[in-house]
Amino acid sequence: MKSIQGRLSLGLVAVLMVVGLVLAQSTLWLFEAGLQRYLQAGLRKESENLLAALVRGEGGMQLDERRISAAYHRPFSGYYFRIDFPQGTWRSRSLWDLDMPQPTSAGLEKSADLGPDGQQLLVFRADYRRLGQNISISVAQDYSPVRDGFRRMQQIGLGLAGVALLVILVLQRITVTRSLRPLERARQQIAQLQQGQRSQLDTQVPVELEPLVAQINHLLAHTEDSLRRSRNALGNLGHALKTPLAVLVSLASSPQLRQLPQLSAQLHEQLEQIQQRLARELNRARLAGDALPGAQFDCDAELPGLLSTLGLIHGEGLLLARDMPGGLLLPWDREDLLELLGNLLDNACKWADSEVRLGIAEQPEAYQLWVDDDGPGIPQDAREHVLTRGSRLDEQVAGHGLGLGIVRDIVDAWGGRIELRQSPLGGLRVSLELPRKAR
Amino acid sequence: MRLLLVEDNVPLADELTAALQRQGYAVDWLADGRDAVYQGQSEPYDLIILDLGLPGLPGLEVLAQWRAGALATPVLILTARGSWAERIEGLKAGADDYLSKPFHPEELQLRLQSLLRRARGLANQPRLEAAGLHLDEGRQCVTRDGDDIQLTAAEFRLLRYFMLHPRQILSKSHLAEHLYDGETERDSNVLEVHVNHLRRKLGRSVIETRRGQGYLYAGSAA
Repeated sequence: MKSIQGRLSLGLVAVLMVVGLVLAQSTLWLFEAGLQRYLQAGLRKESENLLAALVRGEGGMQLDERRISAAYHRPFSGYYFRIDFPQGTWRSRSLWDLDMPQPTSAGLEKSADLGPDGQQLLVFRADYRRLGQNISISVAQDYSPVRDGFRRMQQIGLGLAGVALLVILVLQRITVTRSLRPLERARQQIAQLQQGQRSQLDTQVPVELEPLVAQINHLLAHTEDSLRRSRNALGNLGHALKTPLAVLVSLASSPQLRQLPQLSAQLHEQLEQIQQRLARELNRARLAGDALPGAQFDCDAELPGLLSTLGLIHGEGLLLARDMPGGLLLPWDREDLLELLGNLLDNACKWADSEVRLGIAEQPEAYQLWVDDDGPGIPQDAREHVLTRGSRLDEQVAGHGLGLGIVRDIVDAWGGRIELRQSPLGGLRVSLELPRKAR
Repeated sequence: MRLLLVEDNVPLADELTAALQRQGYAVDWLADGRDAVYQGQSEPYDLIILDLGLPGLPGLEVLAQWRAGALATPVLILTARGSWAERIEGLKAGADDYLSKPFHPEELQLRLQSLLRRARGLANQPRLEAAGLHLDEGRQCVTRDGDDIQLTAAEFRLLRYFMLHPRQILSKSHLAEHLYDGETERDSNVLEVHVNHLRRKLGRSVIETRRGQGYLYAGSAA
């Protein structure tokens, strides 16, 4: 799609050129017509003067030389005449050896350049009757100076119009850039929104943009609101299901059932399955995924709380450290990321002897996250199996965390990759690659 | 050990109360958040189990009010809302541990034990050890010099309280407050009988009597 700036410039240039050409041409034409009318009046007077100069002499009709303008005597002076009457033709001396054809009809005629010195002649013919004869007087005037004047005017006008067009284009560009600045700002804010650096668009925008910005903000608020409501509903559902499940789990290990160990074990197994499934599906349903473009996770604000929570759960003896640049913002929903990191770190804490390290690094295309522990690790050939769906990394350790299952769900929802490696601390390294949102 | 259970689901509360009593805890049960705020502050509990979805007042609010009132009793949050975001919120509000439903009764038991030991500044070991005696809380028996000695439920409760408070003089009324729930008749004679039973099983010197003050746990080393 072409930019608005380009479209505006193109449109403006086209309109200006068409209007300018039409206007300039018609102005010239009108001006020339007016000028010719004026010249015609002059030529008519000249012809009347010539008519008046025709006198009756000894040999019939003759021209009174004294009564005609001196310009008709000077050769190629630019003023010519010819007088046609039945007995012959008189031509002005200024025509010298040139023949000026008689216009075919009375009135003004612009002859082609057949005048002397390539002069273009404006010829006026008037028919009279004098001394009993039909006399046709044609008076001509050199039109070339006027024509050249018009040419020059056209050229100057063209040059001026070109300069004006350029100035207008520059001014228009400045104006458009200025008036499009709010659009550009909105564009930058949308980019920030995707980066997770803001959660709403600025509402201080021109009237034209207001509905758009208001709509985007409304959509964002709506998405956030419906996510919160659905999370709340899921929480309620979870509550409604998990509390009775807790009663059942407790009943299954009640003393009355100790006499029936097989029944008790089966109950436990089935309940455990329900519980696993429930927790996993509820967690998956809670994921915000990509629904919120404005989501962001402030590492400096959130991670200390998470790490101290883990420290509290797993005891003081465990060293929990993090390696990451300060002020790091991750473009994902807070709850999603807490769930991801919480499960990863919790898993690592269960296995670690004394140390768990969380690392996050920012790369142009993706974020790298890794969690190291100094526990026993997982042998190379078993790692793939651990990652496959449903298997539990933590089944030998007390507790019922869902371990990597939930982590996998979250990473899948974000289009990331998960890998198990050997940790420099000696245990397992869970390494995640989470692509930046590509929008 | 006296314990407050705040849980609005009656079947779960019944189950938990029964299980906790089997493990030798004196349990008071409340279902309403507003009652819990008051009773948690007025009674000397050793530990509180708090559900978050409570009628009357949300559990987190209850906890915040307790902590604002300088109540230092360890609190274990028990909730169906098990996401990490909610967990962090709970622990920020002042909880000491967090257990999400559904849970294994053994897990709850282990968490309670470890919370009680942490609150007393003791190492978190599977068996409680104090002055030469080892108490196995799962089997409710005591080991001295490699010999297992079986205890009755009442003796176990009394000895565990002594072992969690070694080198501390405990008055009869203090012991009664922490060993019996709010509804049991407190008879100091019963306490004396249990102390005597313990002395018969573990040796006279295990619990000293400080006249006019109370009892002092000395263990078998003394």
